[in-house]
Amino acid sequence: MKEIYIGVDVGSVSTNVVAIDRNVNVLFKTYIRTNGQPIDSVKEGVKQLKETLGDVEVLGVGTTGSGRQLAAAILGADVVKNEITAHATATIHFVPDVRTIFEIGGQDSKIIIIKDQMVVDFAMNTVCAAGTGSFLDHQAERLKIPIEQFGDLALSATRPVRIAGRCTVFAESDMIAKQQFGFSKAEIIRGLCDALVRNYLNNVGRGKNLEAPFVFQGGVAANMGIRAAFERELQTKIIVPEHFNVMGAIGSAILAKDYIEKTKARTNFRGFDAADIDFSTSSFECKGCSNRCEVVKVSMDGKVIAMWGDRCGKWTNSL
Amino acid sequence: MKVSFPYMGSAIVYKKLFEFLEHEVIMPPKPSQRTMDLGVKYSPEFACIPLKMVMGTYLEAIEKGAKVLVTSGGHGPCRAGFYGDTHRNILKSLGYDDVEIIIFDAPQDNWRAFFRNVQKIRNGVPWHKVINRMYTLYRFVQKLDELEKMVQKIRPYEVNKGQTTQIWNQIQEKFDKIKTRKQLYKVYEECKQMLLNIPTREVDEKDRIKVGIVGEIYVVMESSINFGIEEILGNLGVEVERSLYLFEWINDNLVPWILRPKRFKEIIKKGQRYIKILIGGHAVETVGHIIDFKERGFDGIVHLMPFACLPELVTQSLIPKISKEVDIPILSLPIDEQTGKANMLTRIEAFVDLLRNRKRGKTKEVFIDNIQEHVQEERVVMV
Repeated sequence: MKEIYIGVDVGSVSTNVVAIDRNVNVLFKTYIRTNGQPIDSVKEGVKQLKETLGDVEVLGVGTTGSGRQLAAAILGADVVKNEITAHATATIHFVPDVRTIFEIGGQDSKIIIIKDQMVVDFAMNTVCAAGTGSFLDHQAERLKIPIEQFGDLALSATRPVRIAGRCTVFAESDMIAKQQFGFSKAEIIRGLCDALVRNYLNNVGRGKNLEAPFVFQGGVAANMGIRAAFERELQTKIIVPEHFNVMGAIGSAILAKDYIEKTKARTNFRGFDAADIDFSTSSFECKGCSNRCEVVKVSMDGKVIAMWGDRCGKWTNSL
Repeated sequence: MKVSFPYMGSAIVYKKLFEFLEHEVIMPPKPSQRTMDLGVKYSPEFACIPLKMVMGTYLEAIEKGAKVLVTSGGHGPCRAGFYGDTHRNILKSLGYDDVEIIIFDAPQDNWRAFFRNVQKIRNGVPWHKVINRMYTLYRFVQKLDELEKMVQKIRPYEVNKGQTTQIWNQIQEKFDKIKTRKQLYKVYEECKQMLLNIPTREVDEKDRIKVGIVGEIYVVMESSINFGIEEILGNLGVEVERSLYLFEWINDNLVPWILRPKRFKEIIKKGQRYIKILIGGHAVETVGHIIDFKERGFDGIVHLMPFACLPELVTQSLIPKISKEVDIPILSLPIDEQTGKANMLTRIEAFVDLLRNRKRGKTKEVFIDNIQEHVQEERVVMV
């Protein structure tokens, strides 16, 4: 029977599930739209994994992403880790000499600076999402172009167009203005890709020393237009790893593997039946003290299995 | 007079102040989502979060019957100096003509106005009593801050998750009941013992991570707006110290100049290496404290800034340079009305990972090793 480690990355836009073996060969990967239903998408991912790989022995499970706690509660994870560490772990494995990681996801974009295979600095977009996948999604929708064709269309443009990239509202009115001037959709999209990259490097990369080799990952790395814009801007080649859109999940699987191998612990994995169990979450405001914490409660078949969010530990420790 | 005040940090201190002056004190509620909603609704959109939260607090205090609101003004060019007047105008436009706002600006800017205000809130209490009670309050703040600093050093190593915070809440309740200096010293000793009795893990000195928290006073002091950053870091096993404690603030701002401790001047001097002139919003202090924390052997800095605060933006733009020259990692977190905690937690956790790596040495083996330790911590949180 195959022995595997599972990694799950629950983001705002996509939920990614991977399975790796002892040597970090990726045996399975899936990329599912979260659609605001993280529980369903995690179950779906694990179900697909089971169907594809058949009988396997799960040695460990790691979760990451903004839904990592929820996913960990559902699956019974061994490692719960933030996505910056998870992304860095996977990238260092595939590109050992990496110095700079560009990671653009749905809601967040990040730059991670690596030195001697160690994270030495990182940055995330601050308060606005103008440099992320959601921004592109929105613009694609507005121009009535499927997001999958977005990149190729950008590459077909012959003239550069300058679009204001700082804020979606400005970008949008600028794009409309350029359309009125008579620029083609392809040219405008290329301008948009340039604007996004400019904005990202300026905003997220502010004050950072960006050194090659560069690795570009996250869902947006599929977009050839953005890749090309990066290469134009940085005047150098950027590496897009084979599993660019599931690197966070791979990283958390590696972290789970390292943890299990080192501690020889038995996994907490609930088993593949978890996909059939009824999970639900709810939250309430604790009135125990003036903090008024919002406590999240996860129930499995009606029984509470996890709670978090309380600052004093009253509920977390009550189980 | 039914007196209230903005809620910030250990608000029992302000309550004590007005109790000592024999006012009827209307305790403002700890800022909550409702405070924020009210504040955002009735404040200018471009204002920073402290103005909005304080606005909300005022409205809630007025609901509870407050007739006089006492607040500090500003000093230097930060627009916080206008906030008292802004609040006054907003309250007036909402029809609260009977509510008075008393604004204490820095005394050295206008001594006469300062004493006029003091006369107003002195409430006819004889001067010798005022002085005696203010001295008690001064010690009260000192002792409370000492205990809070202990809390921040014990929390990361507690065996039972959440215990330190629970005891800290109890301590604040005990302090709330104190009436005299004698009681104060007695309660202080009791509370200290309570903290020392908390079971803790033994952690090697080289594995201890210390983080300094710097930034604008409101977001640094008020946990309800900064996501309880001290507790988050504490629960991740990190010792925390703030750049601002009330006792030090009083020493730096209210105690006559000749009696002030030298430390404050030194911090300003350190800050002026990077920011030559005072630009308000604790920008110079923030930079000074970053350097000071580094010199005192801290491993990293969390810099809290209210979104759209200009002095803090100046600091933020200097941070890459400072971080490099002084060689200390700094994480800047902008704070506004959003409550999405996931993004914030990701940054903080990743930052703590980074600090552990730096501290432990630079091999991949270590990188894995410290993750496990961290994993166990998180699993405790996870049940």
